[in-house]
Amino acid sequence: MQVPRYQGPAPHVLKRDTSEEKGEEARMSSFIGALALCDLVKTTLGPKGMDKILQSASGDIIVTNDGATILKSVSIDNAAAKILVDISKTQDDEIGDGTTSVCCLAGELLREAEKLLDAKIHPQLVVSGYRIAANAAQKALQEAAMDHGANFEQLKQDLFYIAKTTLSSKLLAQSRDHFAKMAVEAVLRLKGSTNLDHIQFIKKTGGNLSDSYLDEGFILEKTLGVGQPKRVENAKILIANTPMDTDKIKVYGARVRVDSYNKVAEIEEAEQKKMLEKCQKILNHGINCFVNRQLIYNRPEQFFTDHGIMAIEHADFDGVERLALVTGGEVVSTFDHPELVKLGHCGLIEESMIGEDRVIRFSNCAAKEACTIVLRGANKQILDEAERSLHDALCVLSQTVNHSKVVYGGGSAEMLMAKAVDEVAKTIPGKQSLAVEGFARALRAIPTIVADNAGFDATELISEMRAAHQKGEKEAGIDIQNGILGNMAKLHVLESFKLKSYMVSSATEAAEMIIRVDDIIKAAPRRREE
Amino acid sequence: MDAKNNIKNNRESASKDRQKAKDVRLSNISASKAVADAVRTSLGPRGLDKMVQEEAGDVLISNDGATILSKMRVEHPAAKMLVDLSKAQDIEAGDGTTTVVVIAGSLLSACLTLLGKGIHPSLISDAFQYAVEKAEEILDKAAQPVDVNDRTAVIQAAATALSSKVVSQHATLLAPIAVDAVTRIANLEEPDAIDLRNIRVIKKLGGTLDDTELFEGLVLNQHVNKSAGGVTKVAGAKVALIQFCLSAPKTDIENNIIVQDYSAMDRVLREERQYILNLCKKIKNTGCNVLLIQKSILRDATSDLSLHYLAKMKIMVVQDVEREEIEFIAKSLHCVPIAGIDSFVPEKLAKVDLVEEVSVGSEKMVKMSGIQGKHKTVSIIARGSNKLMLDEAERSLHDAFCVVRSLFRRRFLIAGGGAAETEVAVGLNKIAKTLEGAAAFCVRAFADALEVIPYTLAENAGLPSIEIVTELRNRHVQGDKNAGINVKKGNISNMVEENVVMPLLVTVSALRLATECVRMILKIDDIVMTR
Repeated sequence: MQVPRYQGPAPHVLKRDTSEEKGEEARMSSFIGALALCDLVKTTLGPKGMDKILQSASGDIIVTNDGATILKSVSIDNAAAKILVDISKTQDDEIGDGTTSVCCLAGELLREAEKLLDAKIHPQLVVSGYRIAANAAQKALQEAAMDHGANFEQLKQDLFYIAKTTLSSKLLAQSRDHFAKMAVEAVLRLKGSTNLDHIQFIKKTGGNLSDSYLDEGFILEKTLGVGQPKRVENAKILIANTPMDTDKIKVYGARVRVDSYNKVAEIEEAEQKKMLEKCQKILNHGINCFVNRQLIYNRPEQFFTDHGIMAIEHADFDGVERLALVTGGEVVSTFDHPELVKLGHCGLIEESMIGEDRVIRFSNCAAKEACTIVLRGANKQILDEAERSLHDALCVLSQTVNHSKVVYGGGSAEMLMAKAVDEVAKTIPGKQSLAVEGFARALRAIPTIVADNAGFDATELISEMRAAHQKGEKEAGIDIQNGILGNMAKLHVLESFKLKSYMVSSATEAAEMIIRVDDIIKAAPRRREE
Repeated sequence: MDAKNNIKNNRESASKDRQKAKDVRLSNISASKAVADAVRTSLGPRGLDKMVQEEAGDVLISNDGATILSKMRVEHPAAKMLVDLSKAQDIEAGDGTTTVVVIAGSLLSACLTLLGKGIHPSLISDAFQYAVEKAEEILDKAAQPVDVNDRTAVIQAAATALSSKVVSQHATLLAPIAVDAVTRIANLEEPDAIDLRNIRVIKKLGGTLDDTELFEGLVLNQHVNKSAGGVTKVAGAKVALIQFCLSAPKTDIENNIIVQDYSAMDRVLREERQYILNLCKKIKNTGCNVLLIQKSILRDATSDLSLHYLAKMKIMVVQDVEREEIEFIAKSLHCVPIAGIDSFVPEKLAKVDLVEEVSVGSEKMVKMSGIQGKHKTVSIIARGSNKLMLDEAERSLHDAFCVVRSLFRRRFLIAGGGAAETEVAVGLNKIAKTLEGAAAFCVRAFADALEVIPYTLAENAGLPSIEIVTELRNRHVQGDKNAGINVKKGNISNMVEENVVMPLLVTVSALRLATECVRMILKIDDIVMTR
């Protein structure tokens, strides 16, 4: 008996314009996308990695070496590539650094997977092999990690080396000792908090990167009112967000009707009196510095000047929030209850100059964590990149203060993991072991890329490194300055354990996710009404 | 199976990537070089000027690298970095804005050769960094300390900066002005805190640059309001700087005056008169006889009535003072701005010996001389036969101020006329011989690239550049570290004796910034278009 067959045209299951890629094809397309993205950021990896210019449609340019920044900015129309962007973003949020590494590792894992799939190994087998391998790698990393958290001096030294390692891949490499010291100092002020809001960046063109410095306290890029004290000690600061022209009735079209000019003059006077009363109320807080987010007009300014109060107007939103944070005050907008208001405190407020600009410096603030990093550099691009690099370093350091485990960098951690993974592979029967071996190769690809970017003979170097690790020299890594095998312990190349561990797990997860895809359905783009 | 082919391509892409990186780098370098070449001819005392026509049709003639570049509409991202570079030099040292770009361009050409030899860009970058550090050491050695109280030495430095400008024939006049101006506002204890905003250059069309003068006191660009026949000259003046208006009252909340009959109208008019008269009387009673009124956007600063009363009371009125000017004026006159009639008290007035309106050419300005107390600000009245000349004079003066300031910051002078650059080139060449590997090559290339400055100086002056540069190099090798190109005579001579000197900071900062920028360009291997 014959089964009846449908003869007509294929029915539309999906909505029109919805595209679908299946099986092999879907996998190919996601691999291609992910690999293309990986190739894009690959060249930025390592101390001798190159930079990219990101040019936006409006013509603005960013020069950067930071993987997360690059990946964030490119516009992508490939589902798998988007996954890579996301893991790099998460790495940025969680750790702050290693954003390029994580993307590269995921890419390399996919490259290996592609070979395995070509050899007709089922994706699920590859995935389970990767999982075994990732576990082995994590274990090896765990064992190799050193913890100096108990000894403060040692920890400080570690932090300094980690900062140096992180910065060496960035633009700041030339003066990395200087910046590493700055970063360590800033992070130690935080006392274990990972909230970087206390650290403020001020960027000023002019000067040289090495002219940058860490300043204790907070800097506000505003000017003082005319004739007011330029220096206030033991400042009590009231931070406000209030209009200082008139407290208007907020009814549309409100107006007064009078029948003579004298009455207009009276109302004007009343308005001004009301404002002066407000100033008096502000004064009643017993302050000597008043910061307002909105404008302070001439009359109130004069009032404050007459009473010897430093009045700073039009501090931007960010500035006010941060000032409240660092001086321990709060932002107020009513002034009837001085006893309930928390005032900000700081030891000294003074006007000073950075480059061509006058700024107001609040030093010795209530929150001892607060500090400002003043960056100087030849142009805006350099400054922006310096800020990003330093921010990365600060993130890593603040994480390391809490999780003080460290591992050796320069590719030695990757080689160590690869060795452990290889060992595991030998004990596994079945096709999975191929995937485990692939994982080890992917790990080894990271130092290969680093060496490649520096223009060294990567194949030679990596095989030397592998041999060294096989012999049990756990500190063997790439000496990037000389292009030879070096001892990472002697070269002081340290990296945060958390960074490496996070990199392995999130790269594995991402690769797994992409490998398991066998169908891509793209929703029909929403039509725009013409 | 298109997809499969794609993957194959992908595998081959490693070698393609290299190719692409090379292309991007080359395109960046050639774009930046194009920018450098554009300003190259304006370098030095015999450098030529550029005429820039802006979109709106305005014309600008300048010899100042930073100005030319900022007006150029540069599109290429790498070229934009060069424009920023010159801006940074302008901020840092004020002078040498052309030099820095020319050096960067020359260094980039050197990079091209080095890259062509197959040296890795990061190696070049590191070597350049090493070279610039050594260069600083060499410059430090070649520099001579200067006493900033020695007026003539400082003037020479300012004169060198001015010698390459359109206004060069007036260098002897402008240099002392610049030096005096900066000296007056400077606090030698805090050289970093010299704020050039305390110097005010007022440009007035007419006359020639020779008439430019440094004015002891305050000059206001505004003119005296004479619509009601007010006075234009007041001796023994008491000046008030007010921030309120002398016109009919106005509330912040909208107001209507309702007039119901004829007599009410009469009353309203009378009241207005009375109100203003009251204000004026109060002012008169404090002894004030010169009023500076801040501009207001909400209401009229003065009315016909108030001007009339003030004129009768012999009070001079200057209005339209901008809010930004208030601080400068308050600082110059040692007075406090007055925000309301209630706070108008005699203590807040500034005493000035003479306030008068003078006309220069077709324009007028207000001069205040004999201000009591120490001068914290300086006014310079620049004159010129046309607007282009005046603008350029202002820019040149600014450069000269910056030179003086950088001399205060770092009190060393170095020989000009290409002497400093040649000295560095010779010194670095020596150092290069002690190095090994590719670094030696790069440092030598760096040294040779610096010779672009004497080369361009000679070329722009129409001298046989190759002969001059080789002779110059020869002199430096023999130890004559102050030998430089005497552009006027067309030979090599001792620059210090010729009084061609410039602050060390200018040269050092030019070298440092140029190297920083070149290293950045060198490290770029891709341009990615983003959202």
